[in-house]
Amino acid sequence: MKLSTRNRLSAAGILSLPVLWTTVFLFIPYAIIFTYSFYQKQFPTFVPAFQFGNYALIFTDPQYVQVLLRTAKIALIVAACALFLAYPFTYFLVFKIKSPRVRLMLYMAVIVPLWVSYLLRAYTWKTILGSEGVLNSFLVMIGVLDQPSDIFLYNQFSMVVTLTYIFVPFMVMPIYTSMEKIPRNLIEASKDLGVGPFRTFLKVTLPLTTPGIVAGATFTYCLTFGDFIASFLVGGPDGLMVANVITSQFGAALNWPLGSALAIIMLIVVLTIISLSDRVERSGRLDLA
Amino acid sequence: MKTTTTRCPARLKGGLLAASVAMTLSAGTVFADGEVNLLTWEGYADDSFIKQFEEDSGCKVSATYVGSNDDFAPKLAAGGGVYDLITPSIDTTKIMIQAGFVEPVDVSKVPRWEEIYEKFRTSEGINHDGEVYGVPFSWGSIPFMYRVDKFDTPPTSLNQLWDSELDGRISLWDDKSALYVASRVIGNMDIYNLTDEQLEAAKAKLIEQKPLVRKYWATAGELVDLYAAGEVWISNTWGGYQSALLAEQDIEVQEFIPEEGAEGWMDSWMIVKDTPNLDCAYQFINMAISEQGQCGMSNVNGYSSTNVVAAKNCMSEEQFTALHQDDVDYLDSLLLWTNLGPRLEAYTNTWNAVKAAN
Repeated sequence: MKLSTRNRLSAAGILSLPVLWTTVFLFIPYAIIFTYSFYQKQFPTFVPAFQFGNYALIFTDPQYVQVLLRTAKIALIVAACALFLAYPFTYFLVFKIKSPRVRLMLYMAVIVPLWVSYLLRAYTWKTILGSEGVLNSFLVMIGVLDQPSDIFLYNQFSMVVTLTYIFVPFMVMPIYTSMEKIPRNLIEASKDLGVGPFRTFLKVTLPLTTPGIVAGATFTYCLTFGDFIASFLVGGPDGLMVANVITSQFGAALNWPLGSALAIIMLIVVLTIISLSDRVERSGRLDLA
Repeated sequence: MKTTTTRCPARLKGGLLAASVAMTLSAGTVFADGEVNLLTWEGYADDSFIKQFEEDSGCKVSATYVGSNDDFAPKLAAGGGVYDLITPSIDTTKIMIQAGFVEPVDVSKVPRWEEIYEKFRTSEGINHDGEVYGVPFSWGSIPFMYRVDKFDTPPTSLNQLWDSELDGRISLWDDKSALYVASRVIGNMDIYNLTDEQLEAAKAKLIEQKPLVRKYWATAGELVDLYAAGEVWISNTWGGYQSALLAEQDIEVQEFIPEEGAEGWMDSWMIVKDTPNLDCAYQFINMAISEQGQCGMSNVNGYSSTNVVAAKNCMSEEQFTALHQDDVDYLDSLLLWTNLGPRLEAYTNTWNAVKAAN
């Protein structure tokens, strides 16, 4: 009795800090934003109210739907590109590289850029993709282009390239973890049973790495969905993302209620994706059992 | 006016050196009899004239910088008696007054008030219910600018910003002012009183232009980078500012006022409501419209002065002419930014819709 009370006390002690943290820095701000999202714009600022006008506007004015769809599209492309880069790379790393030291080095080579400022890395792409940039100079030098092209920068292509580059470590890490955990004897067993390498991959490796893929896709998708720097730095006139619109509502438009409603919708999208991926991951686990 | 970049033009270095020497000498003497906290554009709190003020007045100056006029309201709305003085442009001043962020200025405490251009002193944006709310400090235009080496015949009209020959070489300021530009091209010259139909027309015109636009520029530094990297050949600009930065990089650009006219802007010092540092605030305002503040501001930013008497005293003949200080017709030709009132939302939404369009 005494012991369990003490346990409970110490558990409460340990938990109180994170609970306090999440309450003060997550739940209260969410609640404030949620409340604001029902307020009403009234020049010059806004007034408290309870009405659904902000949400109605988002779904009736095509500009918001357009931006949400574009953001979703770019996030999907980035997640797909990151997957197609990260999966073969990680596969090569885990199954083909024999030396653990080389493997670690290559793994770190992907992860290390995370320690470099995001802004700096995004900015670097401007100097690579620009009209007078590294890529153009190279293509002109080897004769592929007659003159520098401006198709590489300030459009959705450059946004996808930059975001993929920046977020690819978040795809590599979970896939690497899931691949490393695959017992080698499972693959050998498959071979022993006369199954070819391709079917072994489909039947053994791929299913066992699905949780990693799902986690990586969730990370890259959600991070891209909330990004506004890429649009600002390397995006063109058609590069507006939903986070940029939110920024503008809190700034130029001084319409915090509409900005809050957009933020809530964004939160719902992200939470939906996370709970879906959680479900996929769980169902994957069940399949194995 | 508006900038997020730091810079130190060559012509300033001497002044900065002198100021830092002066500061070293004064170290240890009185400071902080009072204080004044500014929320302003970067070039408006430059050490070249602020240090001297701190010594003379004993008021310690702290400055927080804004990147756009849209930053004032959110910062003040967040509350908290942090700032004493702000410098919004003339299209934003009225919002500050109506939102209750600022208090009236007692012009009897501003001895040189009468020396300021009458057009500015009496402007609707800083006068409200018979009270004055702002002290005009600086003004300029939003001209257009082009790379001299890329044009055989100098551009003269805004129509060139819709010229497919310039595909991918055009930039516009990421601001509602893009609507002012498009409206003038269409022929709707009353750009601050556009109806919904006229806004729709401006929107359609801007969407038509979108494929030709390389990038909408958001900060002063970004536009300079776009020119320097050869991405952009023609755009609007903050008169006198980015062109000077580009000149330092040996990139030859020319500003011009298009046939369709250009917008003008004016910034004023406004006193934040219930400031505890009222005395230092007035001392600062009086310095700002004196020779020290007026030439200090003009030298750092390349903008024109509002106190023409002070400007005459402290500027060279060339600078005085170059900044149109003696040219009332020039000032009158500018479409001076105006508070849009409740229409602001319609303008902002239209501009957002342009950017959102596919």
